[in-house]
Amino acid sequence: MKKQWLLLLTLIGVLILSACSGGSTIPEGEEGSGSGSEPASEGAKEVIYASTSDAVGLSPTMTNDSVSSNVMTQIYENLFERNPETMELEPKLAESYENTDDLTWVIKLKEGITFQDGTPFNAEAVKYSFDKLRDPATGAPRASLLEPLDTVTAIDETTVEIKTKYPYGPLLAALSHSNAAIISPTADEKQDLMQNPVGTGPFKFVSWANGDQIVLEKNADYWDGEVALDKVIFRVVPETSTAISMLQTGEVNFLDALPPEQISRIEGLENVDVSKQEGTPVYYLTFNHSKERNQDPAFRKAVAQAVDRDAFVEKLNGLGVRSDSVLGPKVFGYNESADNAGTAFDPEAAKKLVEENGFADEPIKLLAANRDNFVLMAEIVQAQLTDAGFKVEIEMMEWATFLDTARAGEYDMTFLSWSNVTSDGSEMFYPNFHSDNVGNSNRAQYSDPEFDKLVEASRTTIDQDEREQYLNDANMYMLENDVAVVMYHGLVTSATDKSIKGLKVDPNGQWSLKDVTRE
Amino acid sequence: MALAETVALKEKKREKYIITTIRRLFKNKLAVAGLIIVILQILMAIFAPAITVHDPIKQNLASSELPMFSAGHWLGTDNYGRDVWSRIVYGARISLVVGLIAVSLGLIGGVLLGMLAGYYPKLDAVIMRFVDLLFSFPGILLAMLIIAILGTSLVNVAIAISIWSIPTCARIVRGSVLSIKEKEYIMAMRSMGASDLRIMARHILPNAAAPIIVFATMRMATAILSTASLSYLGLGAQPPTPEWGAMISQGQDFMWTSPHLTIVPGIAIMLTVFAFNVLGDGLRDALDPNMDIQQ
Repeated sequence: MKKQWLLLLTLIGVLILSACSGGSTIPEGEEGSGSGSEPASEGAKEVIYASTSDAVGLSPTMTNDSVSSNVMTQIYENLFERNPETMELEPKLAESYENTDDLTWVIKLKEGITFQDGTPFNAEAVKYSFDKLRDPATGAPRASLLEPLDTVTAIDETTVEIKTKYPYGPLLAALSHSNAAIISPTADEKQDLMQNPVGTGPFKFVSWANGDQIVLEKNADYWDGEVALDKVIFRVVPETSTAISMLQTGEVNFLDALPPEQISRIEGLENVDVSKQEGTPVYYLTFNHSKERNQDPAFRKAVAQAVDRDAFVEKLNGLGVRSDSVLGPKVFGYNESADNAGTAFDPEAAKKLVEENGFADEPIKLLAANRDNFVLMAEIVQAQLTDAGFKVEIEMMEWATFLDTARAGEYDMTFLSWSNVTSDGSEMFYPNFHSDNVGNSNRAQYSDPEFDKLVEASRTTIDQDEREQYLNDANMYMLENDVAVVMYHGLVTSATDKSIKGLKVDPNGQWSLKDVTRE
Repeated sequence: MALAETVALKEKKREKYIITTIRRLFKNKLAVAGLIIVILQILMAIFAPAITVHDPIKQNLASSELPMFSAGHWLGTDNYGRDVWSRIVYGARISLVVGLIAVSLGLIGGVLLGMLAGYYPKLDAVIMRFVDLLFSFPGILLAMLIIAILGTSLVNVAIAISIWSIPTCARIVRGSVLSIKEKEYIMAMRSMGASDLRIMARHILPNAAAPIIVFATMRMATAILSTASLSYLGLGAQPPTPEWGAMISQGQDFMWTSPHLTIVPGIAIMLTVFAFNVLGDGLRDALDPNMDIQQ
C-alpha cells in the first residue's frame, strides 16, 4: 500500500517537473512568432476593419448593400461626390458640368486618370458604366438610379453628354451614389467584377477569402496624391462583442455602426477613439397602407399619439437624434420647422381614440427584423401601444426574410430604415413612398396621388431652391397625415485604434481610407 | 371468490411496488434534491402572481438595467426596466407548460408507434424505418426545420420538440413490447381470446411503464433546454414573452454592463435541467427490478 502511494507521488512529481519544462518552452515560441509579426505591423501601414457580415460582391453595378459598398468605396470613384462638411455636391472624376437645357447635362471629365488595370479613364468608360447599370439585360438592383436617363453620349475623349427623359433635378446626387461608380470597361469585359474589381480609386483589389476577409493594397499610381496606407483588410467578425474585444487587443483597428448598448464599453477602452456625428439614416414606424384599418386617419393618429419617441431616443445612449421630420438634418430638403410638425405624444388622447373607435378589437401584427435597434424599437413601441389600449403582437424575422415579407405587405405595422446614400430627399420619398414603387422598395405600400405629385415635382425640377420647397411640402404632408412615425435619425459612428488618424465617416455612413494614416 | 382474492392480491402487490420504488428513490440523495427543485419550480409556476410584485412585461424605461439586490427588484431589472425576478418566475411557467405539452405529445406519438411496431411484426419494418428517418436528423435541426415550416411561436416549438421525441420513445416502447409480448401471461391472455387492444392497453402498457416514466422525466430536461435554445435563436418565444432562453439572448448585449441579465436565467435553466436529469436517473434506478439483486 505504501509503495503504491510512493509511486503515485513520484508520478505526480514527474508530471509537475515536465509541466515546468514545458512552461519554459512556451514563451520562447510566443516570442518567436511575436518578433516575426512585429516588422510587418511596423513597416507596412495597414488598417484592419471588422464588419459583421461579408460583402455580397464588389461590382457597383450588381450590388446594393452597405457592406459591399464599404469595400467598393475604396476601389471605385464617382463623377461627383458630396462634401461631408458642406453637404454640397462637388466634382470628383468630373471636372465641371453645365446644363445646356433642362434635359441636357454636359459633363467635362478630368484628364490623365487611369484605372488600376491601366485602362484610360475617359468618356467611353463613363458611357460604358452608365449604360451597363441601366441596361435591363444587366438586371442591376439599383438601375432605378439612372432610370430618368435617355441617352449617354461620348462627345470627345473628356466630354460626356447626358440627356434625360424629363427634367431630372437629383441627377448629380444620383451620379454620386456608390452604385453609379465608374468601372473599367476592359476589366468588365475580361473578368467578373463581383470577384475581381477594377476602378480608379486609391486602393486596388488583392484577394478575397469568402466569409473571412478581403485584402486591398495601395494604388501606387493614384491620380489624386499619395495614399498613406499600404494595405487594408476587411475582416468578417459576426459577433459585435467579439469585434470589440479584438479592437481592444489590436487584432482589428476599426469598427463602424456601433450598437448603442455597447457604446459605453467601447468608450471605456483606453486605446480607442470613438467618433459620433449626425448622419442620414432614418428609422421609422410605418403602417401597411394597403390595409383598410390603416387607412383610417384616426387610427394612425392614435398610434402616433401613443408612441413616446423621446423615451425611446434616450435608450440609444446618444446615438440617435429625435425629430418628427422624415427627412433628417443631413438630408437635402430638410427644414427645421418639420422637427416638431408631427403628431405629439399624448397617451391620454390616444387612449380615448382607441376606446371610442374600438381599435383594440383586432390585434395588430407588428413586424420587426431581429437586428438590435429594430428589436429595441419593437419592444418599446409594443409596450407603449399596449399602454394606450391597443393589442399588439410582435413577429420577429431574420433580415432577408423580413425585407421580403415587408415588400409583400404581409404585416400591419413595421419598422423600416433608410440610410440615404445620396443625401437627397427625393431619394427617400421616391423609392419608399411613391406609388410607382409599391410592392418593390415602397414597403409601406403607400399610394397617395397628392403626395406622388409633390415627389414628382421634386424630381423633375432643376432649380434646387424649388426642389427644396417641394421636398419640404412632401415631408409636411406625410407628418400631417401620420403616414409614418419617425423614431429617430441615426448618428454615424466609428471606433478606431488611437494609432489611426484622419478617418472621417460621411453622414451617409460611408467612409474613404484615402487620407487615413497610421502612426 | 378466487377472482376477488387475486384482485386484492394484485392491489397489495402494486401498492408494495410503489412504496418500495419511492423508498428506493428517497435513498438517492441527488434524486431527492432534483425532486425538491422540480416541486419548487412547479409551485413557483402555479403561484407566480402571488410571489411577484411586478408585471413581467411591464416596462419602466426610467429604471432599466438595475443591478441585483436593488430596492424593489432583488434580481434587478433588464434593459427595458422589467423585473428580472418576475420574468424568471413567469418563465418557469412557460418552461414547464411547453415541456409538459411537448413531452405528452411526444409520448402519445411514441407509445402508439412503439406499441404497434412491437406488437405487429408486419408493421414493425415500416414504422421503424420511419423512426430511423426521424433519427437521421440532428434533433435541434429537425426542430428548426419544423419551425421554419410552421412559423415561430411557442406552440410550434412544443410541436417541434414533441415530434423530435417520438423516435426515441418509439424505440424504447417497442423494445419493451417485444420482450413482454413473449411472456407466458400474454400467451395465456391470447389463448383466452382477449382482443389485441385489451392486451396492449391493459397488460403490455402497464408493464412497459417504468422505462416510459424514466424517459418522460429525462425528456422534460431536454424539452426545457430545447425550448430555451430555440427561443435563444429567436425561433421560439416572441418578445416580450419572459422565456428564459429569450432572456439570455436579449441579455447578452449587456454582458459587460449587466451580467445578471444572462447569468440569472442561465442558472434557472441549468437548475431545472439538472433537477429533471437527476430525478430521471433516480427513477430509473428505483424502478429497475434488478436493483435488489445488484445490491
